[in-house]
Amino acid sequence: MAARGALLKYLRVKVQAMPTTRNPNNNGLFGLSFNSIRRFSEEVRGTFLDKSEVTDRVVNVVKNFQKVDPSKGYDWKLKVKWVTPNAHFQNDLGLDSLDSVEIVMALEEEFQFEIPDNEADKINSISLAIDFISSHPQAK
Amino acid sequence: MFSFIQKMRSFERNFSVSPSFPLLPLQLPSPMETHVWFVLPDEFKSVSLLNQYMELLSPCEKENVLTMRGDQLQKRALLARTLVRTTIARYQINNHVVDPRSLKFKKNVHGKPELVWESDDGQCPSPLHFNISHTSSLIACGVTVNSPIGIDVEEKQRKIKNNILAFARRYFSLYEVEHLSAISDSEVQRQEFVKLWILKEAYVKALGRGFSAAPFKTFTIRMKDATNSGASEVVVESSDHPVSLTNNWQFGLFELASSHYAAVCMEKDKTSDVAMRVPMRLTVRKTIPFVEDICISGTDAVVPIAGLIKQV
Repeated sequence: MAARGALLKYLRVKVQAMPTTRNPNNNGLFGLSFNSIRRFSEEVRGTFLDKSEVTDRVVNVVKNFQKVDPSKGYDWKLKVKWVTPNAHFQNDLGLDSLDSVEIVMALEEEFQFEIPDNEADKINSISLAIDFISSHPQAK
Repeated sequence: MFSFIQKMRSFERNFSVSPSFPLLPLQLPSPMETHVWFVLPDEFKSVSLLNQYMELLSPCEKENVLTMRGDQLQKRALLARTLVRTTIARYQINNHVVDPRSLKFKKNVHGKPELVWESDDGQCPSPLHFNISHTSSLIACGVTVNSPIGIDVEEKQRKIKNNILAFARRYFSLYEVEHLSAISDSEVQRQEFVKLWILKEAYVKALGRGFSAAPFKTFTIRMKDATNSGASEVVVESSDHPVSLTNNWQFGLFELASSHYAAVCMEKDKTSDVAMRVPMRLTVRKTIPFVEDICISGTDAVVPIAGLIKQV
């Protein structure tokens, strides 16, 4: 009996009062539980973006960047093809310092947050960009 | 491509020359003098010549070249190291003939590459300073004596992928943003942006403390209006550093080989009066190491744009 009580206590779900203006399309019980499920997930993840989503978005930003000026004297299709999550800006993609800064700026626009200069300085590969953005709660 | 005044051949075109005495020895640059050497990667097609260059590199440098992806990037990396080694080897100090392979380099505490000079007492800093800059179509190396130097080159046609003013607002100083905003012609604005970028890069590279030690937003490059000498002076002002420090730096901005803008920043000669406007003496040479050197200073291949420059 005590064990059952203890178990029930352990399993008890906290009831939280929902603000009345939260969901204008509140369709009663279903709407309430749906919202609480979503809030619960956010609390678990914090506001960090999922790494595979960040990977796709970063790779896309850099691929689009490579496509803009296909005149650098070698096969630009390769330049785009070689943009992989492991690519190094200088060694694999042949990017210079101006390119790197331009890419950081494009990433800031994509993820809607500012990357400080001393951090931007270190981002010289796709994987470093992915790691930095995935660990930044302000990235959207 | 451009007209020549003089053509200096280091020796006959001979690809199998002994590497011990390959390069025409030169006098060191004098105070306030920069020697700029450059290569055009497209001119290097001979596999045997490139293999010869590979033999000049240290094992570590060879490895770095081979980690680059694809032939084009490997060739560029190879030519950059070859340019540095063969350029420096030309300057004899104490009448020693220098084998390019024997040169030793290290990075300073901030990561800037420096020449190590080995004397009988061990290693000491070399009086010879150098800095390198590459684009896909041109690699340049600037050499000075007893003066930190920064050099940056960029293609005149370089396109900016972001909006120029948005970029400037993010990374440049307020004065520089206003200067660019005032330019109504978008092509002229793009050109001025490129010139400003390479001047700022050259300054940070001359300082040798890395990009984050002198963030672009914390200093302003200004072109002072032309005086009776006809040249506009380029000055740097910093919100972080007092005038006494920023006054030490001299800039030269010029068009190179009709295709590029080049910016050189060097420390003013401390022995001369800092208030006096002493021009930067500039010598520019195009090279194919072991094959030919062509002096192009004073030709239409070098066109000064800003800063006090005297071509020698």
